Parts: sequence; structure tokens; C-alpha cells
Amino acid sequence: MKAGGALIVAAGAAVAACALGVLAGSTGLAAASAEIFWQIRVPRVLAGFGTGAALAVSGALMQLLTRNALADPYVLGVAGGASVGALGTMLVAAATGTPLSEWGIALGAAAGAFLAATLLFALMGRRLAAPASAAQGDASTSLLLVGIMIGSGCSAVVSLILTLASDGQLRGMVFWLLGDLNGATQWQIVWLALGVALVLVWPTARQLDWLSRGDAWAATLGVPVARRRIVAIVAAAIATGAAVATAGAIGFVGLVVPHALRLLGVRSAPLLLPASALGGGAFVVLVDAAARTVVAPLQLPVGVLAAAVGVPAFIAMLLHRPRGQRSP
Amino acid sequence: MTGPPIDLEVRELRLTAGGGATARSLFTGLGFHVRSGERWVVIGPNGSGKSSLLAALAGVFPIGAGVVRVDGLPLPEWRPSALADRRAWSPQFWSDPFPATVTESAALARQRSSPWRVAASDRLDDAEVDVVLDRLDLRRFADADVRSLSGGERQRVAIATALLQGAPLLLLDEPASHLDPAHQRLLLDVLVAHSRAGGAVVVSLHDLNLAWDLASHCVLLDGRGGASAGTREQLMDADRLAALFGVRIEAIELRGSRRFVTGARAPSTDA
Repeated sequence: MKAGGALIVAAGAAVAACALGVLAGSTGLAAASAEIFWQIRVPRVLAGFGTGAALAVSGALMQLLTRNALADPYVLGVAGGASVGALGTMLVAAATGTPLSEWGIALGAAAGAFLAATLLFALMGRRLAAPASAAQGDASTSLLLVGIMIGSGCSAVVSLILTLASDGQLRGMVFWLLGDLNGATQWQIVWLALGVALVLVWPTARQLDWLSRGDAWAATLGVPVARRRIVAIVAAAIATGAAVATAGAIGFVGLVVPHALRLLGVRSAPLLLPASALGGGAFVVLVDAAARTVVAPLQLPVGVLAAAVGVPAFIAMLLHRPRGQRSP
Repeated sequence: MTGPPIDLEVRELRLTAGGGATARSLFTGLGFHVRSGERWVVIGPNGSGKSSLLAALAGVFPIGAGVVRVDGLPLPEWRPSALADRRAWSPQFWSDPFPATVTESAALARQRSSPWRVAASDRLDDAEVDVVLDRLDLRRFADADVRSLSGGERQRVAIATALLQGAPLLLLDEPASHLDPAHQRLLLDVLVAHSRAGGAVVVSLHDLNLAWDLASHCVLLDGRGGASAGTREQLMDADRLAALFGVRIEAIELRGSRRFVTGARAPSTDA
């Protein structure tokens, strides 16, 4: 498939997914009352779309930066920080008897994401800011490892919070960790973050393709390597932090959507980033529509269904590719 | 290839490998002058600084002392994107982390100023890509994934990428590695044609016979801090090369060309 064609398909899928998302309800496919439609479904679809788009864009950025197809938004440790922030807020609120709104949790998550990103830059800043040189190895592997270490540290804190939490809080916390759009009505933050991230990286996206072939080589083409890398990490951290604050730690989207698009022929970053936004948004909206209708009135966490649908689909895609293409 | 004739001047160059306590001097006081139409070959044992020299000429290796000028202007004073129009650098190793066709990889450095030229597969108007792929015997791999190629095939893609950058000065780090004899000769023809069309090349090579056939000039790095530069005839004689590598080397004249025959390692002289 031509890359431009794939982008059009992704845009069509995004529109169709949103249409389906606002029409699907627990009572089947039907137009709901105006109140439910505008107060519940539209914000939820917007939140879902923005979350999926932000995660997929962030995943595509991290894969390009670390030159690793296995990278996802969570390798930076930013999402881990957001989880600690959100769960910590829930724990503290319960311990002190403070009533906690969705906004409070989102704020806690955003603060955690910000702290984790600050830690990442404090640890990696000097290496990331070093000019590209053939004399030394590049910073991508250490970035990956430091990010994963921050993430592991955060997981430990999350486990600690879960053991400290009361049985009543545990359910809410686990749902949050699995990724849940239930009650996610603040769609504005994640859309704003997505917009900021795309404005930061998209105009120079082609340089990210060069960076993925080697820092020093990109530098010979005139890429300001350190600045490009730092701006891309900031964009990814903003998008991930906002997405996790909005809907919890939805897995899978950020890893797989860019990957699937590459398999469909969308390779260059200037196309891959917008296509990831469209594809990731469409994917989460569709999965969320299924999550709240398949076993209605029960609502499944969207993260669980995303993996349940996505894993077999992705494996099938990997194994059934045209001849002549080897290894993803 | 674009622009006026190329001019690369190296003066009193000193390069250092590693940093801090492990730093060691690669060579000092190297000077030479590359002009359009010339083909320079960098020769020296492993670790003598060939790759570092090429990277330094490209502006991506810290210079310990001395100056590198392109078209009369020291490297740090160049606007990086303008320099990309004057010289192309091809490293010894490439990272191919994601699927990409041979055409996409070869055309990577095309049309650098346009962020909108996004996917090589949509770039049907770029006939030069096909010409270069043909020239390097890559046409039948045009749509293959670069990661499915053999080492020699990948090497030819790297050469295509460098050629398609459109710069008159080519700085290629071991462009003959992994190439079979036929493709080594093809590389030689391509580089000779490039220099005759007004470009210049600086390449590192280990095959002395290929080096002799390609070079108009050469740089010898001895790995012990010494460096010399001059014409092929001045520097590429058997005794000098034997001392450089520490092996027995004999030169014979065969059908009007000098051939180097290497033998056993020479007894160590510095023990």
C-alpha cells in the first residue's frame, strides 16, 4: 500500500471509529438522548481518541529515538511516575478522608509524570545534550535503560501502594492501572498535550528518520541532534503524561500502532506520526466502544480489551505478510 | 552533484581517540589538500585512526588540534545544512532499526530542505534514484527490505545513499568491505566516474591493490602517531607499506599496474 493511501485509510478509520463510538451504547447501536450523547458519549470518545493518539504518537517517537521497535511510551518511566502520582493521590486522599475527584487523580498523575520526566532529564541531560560524534556511542541505549529503571522503581512504589491500600480502594486502583476510560470526561488536557507534542516534532519529523539511522550521520545532514532528541523526548513525555492522567495506563497502543502502520507501508516519520495519532485514536475508541457494550451493563477496562483484541491481531499481521519482507 | 569544484584542506591535524584517562593520540601534524578530480585513499592498520579521520573531515569527530577547511571555510563556521550539500559521509556501520526498502534507504538524504518529501515510494519524479540503483546493481532489490540484504548488498545501498546526497566530496569509510571482486571493481568505476565529473573522494581501504587502482593520492596512518600524505607514487611502495602493517610485502609490475603481494608477518622490530 502506498504510504499516502495508508494515511487516508487511517483518517477514514478514525472518523468511522468516532461515529461508532458515539452511537454505541449499553442498549445497542442507537442514538441516545441528547443529554447522554453530549454529556457522556462525546466527551468519552474524545477522551479515548486523544488518549490513544497521544500514546501512539509517543510510542512512535520513542521507537525512533531509541532505534528500537520494542520501545513504547512507557519506556521513559514517565507513565510509571504518573501511576505513582495517581495512586499516591488516591491513597493519601483516603487516609486523610479528603473527597477526591477525577481532576484530583489526573492532577496527581500529571505531577508524577512531570517528576519522572524531570528525573530522567537530570540523569540523562548531559549525555542527551552532547553533540553527535562518531567518537562515542550514542545515547539511545542508556536512555532506554535509564527510562526502564525509572519505570521499574515506579512499579515497586505502585506495588507498595497497592499493599498499603484498603480493600475498598484496591478495586479503583487496579482499574486505573489497567487503563480505564470510565468516567474520563476531561478530554481537553490530552488533546492539548497531543497538539503541543505534534507541533513540537512534526515540522522537523524527517530529521527523526535520519536520527534513527545514526546520530553522527544525521549530524552530517545538518540535524541539530541534541536539540531534536531533547524536544522529541519532551513531546513524548507530555503526551504520555497527559494520556495516563486521562485514562490510566492503557498498554499496547503505543507499542503496536506505530508498528502496525510500518507494516502497512507508513515508514517515514512525517507520515508515521500523524498516522499513529489517527490509528491510535481510532483503535482506543473502537476498543472502548466494545468494552462498554460487549458485556453491558458491565464495563470492561479498555486496557484489558485492547490487549485481548490487539495481541492476536498483531501476531496475525506479523506472520501473514507478503513474501520478500523479512523480520519486522 | 551540485555547485562549484570542491576543495578540502587539512592542516596540522591531531586526533585523539577515547577520552579521559584512556585517551591516546592517533596522529599529529597531518596535512593534505584535496581538490576536484582527486581520489584519496586512507591506508593504515586497525585502530590507526582511519575512521576517525574520515569522521573528522565530515565534522563529526572532535579535532584535537589543527584545522579542516572546506572551500576555504573552517568546518565549525559552516552552516550544517549547507555543508551537507558539499560533502557526504558514509559511516562503517549503519543502523536499520525499522522496515525500509532499498529505494527508501538510498533516497534518505535526498531533497533535504523539503520536509514535505516524505516517502520514497511516493517520489516517482526522482529519476536519479533509479539511475544510481541501476549503477550499483541494486535495481532488482529496489523494493526489498534493507534488513534482508547481505552485507555486500547493504554496503552498496550505503554507497548509493552517499551518492544520492548530491555532494561533490564523498567521505566513505571502508566502502569496499563485504564487496565481492566484481562489485569492488564496480565501486572503483563509480568513484572514478564521480571524480572525473568534478567531485572528489576520500575513502579508507584495506585492499592495497584496489587502493592502488583507485587512488590518485593517499594518506598513510601508522598507528603509532605518524601520518603522511602524498601522491600514490610517492607513498605506495612495498617497503613503506610493509613497515606500516608489519608484514612482508612485495610489489610487482603486472600488465602496467602495480600489484602488492603480502606474505608472512615481519619479525617484530620494536620488541
